[in-house]
This record gives sequence, C-alpha cells and structure tokens, in this order.
Amino acid sequence: MLDIKNLSASVGGAEILHDLSLSVGTGEVHAIMGPNGSGKSTLAQVIAGRDDYDVTAGSVTLDGEDLLELDPEERAREGVFLGFQYPVEIPGVNNAYLLKAAVNAQRAHRGLDEIDVFEFLKLAKEKMALLGMDQKFLNRGVNEGFSGGEKKRNEILQMAMLEPRLAILDETDSGLDIDALKAVAHGVNALRSPERSIVLVTHYQRLLDYIQPDHVHVLSGGKIVRSGDKTLATELEERGYDWLKEAANG
Amino acid sequence: MSKPDKLQSAAEQLGPDGLSDLRSRAAKKFGATGFPTTRMEDWKYTDLSIASDISVAALQDFRTDLPPSYEIPDIDAHWLVISNGSPQVGSFSAIDGVEVSLLSEADVDLQFNLPLSDLNLALLSDGLRLTVDSGVNIDKPIGILFFDDADTESLVSQGRVIIDVSKSASVQVIEFHATRGDARKYANVFVDLNIGDNARVDYARLQARDPSAVQTARLSVAAGRDATLRHFALDTGGKLVRNDLAIDIAQTGANVDFNGLYLADAMQHVDNHTRVDHRVGPAHSNQEYRGIVKGRAVWNGKAVVHEGADGTDAQQANHNLLVAERAEINAKPELEIYAEDVKCSHGTTVGQLDENAVFYLRTRCLDEEQARRLMTHAFAMGVAHRCPIDACTAWVDAHVDAALNALITEDAE
Ligand SMILES: Nc1ncnc2c1ncn2[C@@H]1O[C@H](COP(=O)(O)OP(=O)(O)OP(=O)(O)O)[C@@H](O)[C@H]1O
Ligand SMILES: [Mg+2]
Repeated sequence: MLDIKNLSASVGGAEILHDLSLSVGTGEVHAIMGPNGSGKSTLAQVIAGRDDYDVTAGSVTLDGEDLLELDPEERAREGVFLGFQYPVEIPGVNNAYLLKAAVNAQRAHRGLDEIDVFEFLKLAKEKMALLGMDQKFLNRGVNEGFSGGEKKRNEILQMAMLEPRLAILDETDSGLDIDALKAVAHGVNALRSPERSIVLVTHYQRLLDYIQPDHVHVLSGGKIVRSGDKTLATELEERGYDWLKEAANG
Repeated sequence: MSKPDKLQSAAEQLGPDGLSDLRSRAAKKFGATGFPTTRMEDWKYTDLSIASDISVAALQDFRTDLPPSYEIPDIDAHWLVISNGSPQVGSFSAIDGVEVSLLSEADVDLQFNLPLSDLNLALLSDGLRLTVDSGVNIDKPIGILFFDDADTESLVSQGRVIIDVSKSASVQVIEFHATRGDARKYANVFVDLNIGDNARVDYARLQARDPSAVQTARLSVAAGRDATLRHFALDTGGKLVRNDLAIDIAQTGANVDFNGLYLADAMQHVDNHTRVDHRVGPAHSNQEYRGIVKGRAVWNGKAVVHEGADGTDAQQANHNLLVAERAEINAKPELEIYAEDVKCSHGTTVGQLDENAVFYLRTRCLDEEQARRLMTHAFAMGVAHRCPIDACTAWVDAHVDAALNALITEDAE
C-alpha cells in the first residue's frame, strides 16, 4: 500500500527526516512511536502533502502511484487520510458542510454523483452514533470551540465518512478520556479491512490494547531505528527510548 | 469646485420652490470651501478629486429633467425611490403609520455643517422626510432606493432623507444604493435618523453601485432614551466609496449595535468612518466591521466617551482579510474616554487566511480555491449574519456570495 523509500525532508533549512524507509502492506495496521520532536508529525504531514516541508530525497508511493507529485487534495481524494495531532479550528465553516463537501469532492474524483442530502445526513448520524458524538456537532463551526477530545472524535468522524485507503492518525489518542479512547478505537477498528491500511502515531501502549497493530516502529532523530511486533510497544513502555537512541547512534 | 458660478446657476435651475433660498446659501458656502482634501485628518486616505471632476463635468450641462429610471431590488419592502437625485413621489404608496413628505414642503431646519452637506443642499432637487408614528410597529421594511442611471453624460446626484421615529415605535429601514449605465456618476447622500425614546430601528445600508461609481454617504443617528439601533452596512460596489456613520447618544439607556462588511476589489477604494459619541451613561454601543480587501480600504472607528458619561460600555472591532499582495488597508480605532466607570475595548486585525486551515481543508479533499473561498465566505458571513432585517437576508447572502466569487476567482488567475 504505502512505500516510503529513503525519504529526507527539511523545513526552514533544517533536515528533520533522514533517509527514512517504511513499508505498510495492504490491510495492515502499523504503529509509529518515538520521542517528542523525533519527526512523527513531520512524516505524517509530508505524506499528506504539506508544502512547508521540502522533500530533498526519496520517494513516497501509494499502491505504486507517486504521492509526492500530487496536491494534498488529490492525495486525499485518492484515499489518503491524515488525522491531525492538532486539528485546526475553522470559524464559521459549518462542520456538516465540510463533511458533505469532502465526500462530494471525493465522489466527483471517482466519477460519482453528489451524495443525496438525506443519505448524507443518515450516514453522518450513523457514524456519529458509533463514535458517541452528539448530532449538534454537525451544525457547529469546524472544530470551533471543540474540546481537545471532541476535536479528535471529529477527526475520526471525517475519516469514517471518507473511508480512506490509508489512514494516518497522528496522536488521535492524546487527550482522550477512557470512553473517548474506546469510541475512537471502535471507529478505527470499524474501518479495519483487508483493503485498508492504518498508521497510528502514538505515545501510548494503551491505544494498542484496543487496536492491535501488526507492526510497531520507533522513529527517533528522523529515522526508523527499530521495528518489531506489538511486543515492542510493551518493551518501550517499560524501558523508554534512551536505549534505542544509543543503539542508533552507536 | 473650480466653478462656483456654475454651482450657483445649477442651484437656481432647481427652483423656484421651498428650497430655493437654502440652495443658494449652500452653493455660496460650498463655493468658498470646496471638497474636503487629503490634507484634512478625516480625509487623509480618501481623495475626492474624482468626485470633484465628475461634479464639474456634470455641471457643464446641468440637467434637471432627467427621466426617472430605476430597478426595485428583490427585497420585500415598501419602496421609496430617489432616482438621479429626484424623489419619485408618483411611485410611493401609502405606508400605515408613516407619513412621507417632500423636504421642499416640510418645515425642517437643515443644518449647514459640513462641506459635503452644503454641496448636497446646493444641488438637492428634493429630499424626503419620513415620520413614523409613536408606538407603531411597521409591518415590513421601508426601503429607500437611491438609484442613479447615466449612460453617456457624467451625473452628480444628491440624496437627502430625514427619518423621525417617534417614541416606542419599531421600524426596519433599508437604504439601498444601485446604479445603471456606463457613465461616471457621483452620488452624495445624507440620511438623518432620529430614534425616539424607547423606539427601535433595524437598519441596513446596502451598497451595490457599479464599479465606476463614486459615493459619499453619511448617516447621522440621534438615539433617544432607551432607544435601540441594530445596523448593518454592506459595500460591494463603487470605485470610490466613503461612508460616515455618526451616532450621538445624548440620552441614557441607548443600545446601539452597528456592523459592516466591505469588499474592495483591486480597482476599488472603500472608506468607512464611524463615530459614536457617548454623552451620557449608561448606554451601550458595539460595532464590528469586517473587510475583504484586494484593492484599498480604510476603516476609522472613533468612540468618544464624554465627561459624565459614566457607565458607558463601548466595544469596537475591525477585522480585515487581505487577499492580494497589493491590497492596502488603513485601519484605525480611536477611543477617547473622559468619564468614569466605563467598559471600552477595541481590536483591529489585518491578516491573511490561516494557511494551516487551508491545508487542513485540502486534506479533506477540497481544492485550494474551494478552501480559500469557503474560509473567506465564512469570514464575511461572520458579520453579514448580523444584518438585522430578515427580508434582506437572502439578498445579502446571494450578493455577498457573488461578489466574493468575483473577487476570489480573479485572484486565482
Ligand atoms: N516549521 C518548522 N521550523 C523549524 N522546525 C520545525 C518546524 N516544524 C517542525 N520542526 C521541528 O521538527 C522536529 C520534528 O517535529 P515533529 O512535529 O515532527 O515531531 P513529533 O515526533 O511529531 O513530536 P511530538 O511527539 O511532540 O508530536 C521538531 O524538532 C520540530 O521542532
Ligand atoms: Mg507530533
């Protein structure tokens, strides 16, 4: 599904990602962990197409298609979804309006007609129920005045509506209470399928109790320094990252 | 203006009637002062030489016999039309609870205080006076349409309306500005709104003149005891537009809320000056103006809390979105406080769209133009939603939409 080869990326002249390679197979769930500032969000944003970052070397492909050639919206329509670590508040832009516009832009890309209004509402309400979200959020501004946890649920709602091929969730579990964590995990698990791949960026083993990953990677200093199965997450929880940083440097 | 004699003879041409004497005195005064210039603090950023040029050209062959021409906007209201400066009395139908008369036949004391007011009186063919009976609640908005039509010859037109709202009455007023034809036009409009004790006025000034039109317009409001004003102004048209809104609070308990939205395309210059005088307290004023600027805009908001106006609450905000490199805004809040126990604040912002938000929307499948359009629209509607007259809402929404699309689409080229 996703193939990242020898990727280097910098921002404002500083290289953040160094020669990073990562492969995510179709139907797999990968977790990326790593210390603060190691480049996890940078990687996620580069995949989604943020142009503040300069890709200086390497390639990123989705099912063989060069993602780096595409605009962010083209990537999104092709099925790449980024759940933001810090979802952006967009005052005055109606949440339901955005959801519908997003769904329709994606449908247009696939050569489908616009979604029927009633069908859209029915679908949105279904997904919201699944996430334990009150319907009143449909009529609010996008993330406007949402609590931290509400923003994260809203990201998952968008993901659920767009049904991406590849979902990258950047710390979607941070700042969630136990119920919200379960709801989010439920939303992610509902999306899990042999056709989709999911990348979870997280600091906590806890999320991985609910969403069992096939692979766990450690990103440190802009590189993947260790990959393993889900037991690696448990090990990290116990030992921290220092031993890996040393191993990587030495 | 360079030709006082032309002004004087034009003033004479308009009579003889009840305004003759006034016109002649005003012409003399304006002949001595002329147009405000950019050397004056209040006019620093807005150069009226184009208004002067159009006036001079129009006075070369001044016509008082222009045929009426207008299009009633698609807004449900009792419309009173002033076409090319002439009230179209024949088109007025009676409004229950409102007395409408011509200024030439009304016994009113018109003030000489500002050069543009003198110009207005000198060339005023006639104006309107509306008196809203006390205690009445007018069934639908009263629309005053200022419509100018000039295809070949330069046109200068004056509009003057006095609205007296008697105590405890409630009325909605739409001041609508539109044009037709390709010739240069300069309109100079004065509206006096006197809100009686405990009366309520919802007011919308909607300006959609053509891109070559010049406008200077002043709305002066006197708010009575416990009076309420809800005001919204929209400017999308005009080449050079200057609006003054002056609100005088000389009675306690007044509550005034005035808001505005201006869109200035690359070739447009839109200037809004507001001033609220709190002479007594407690009273409340709140204003928010927003601008989307590709050309040039000016916002100057002044609140003066006079000595003794204790318990005043005066809030003002002005937010501007610059949508082109060359866009220019002069935004200046001014707060003068000479009283105690007041709550005042002002905030002015000038900026561009939040690029994080643009990226966010793009990751949600929207293309860049759609993302920018959506956010710009949301910014505009944030204040346009405050238009207090429901009958205008559909028109405002559609008009803002169209104007924004034009502004942003060109931008993408
Ligand atoms: N615009 C920028 N200018 C300069 N440095 C930047 C910029 N954006 C990111 N960085 C730096 O890049 C590094 C990686 O940041 P990134 O957000 O990817 O880390 P992260 O692994 O997601 O951290 P966290 O776990 O705290 O979310 C950090 O040191 C950060 O300060
Ligand atoms: Mg991060």
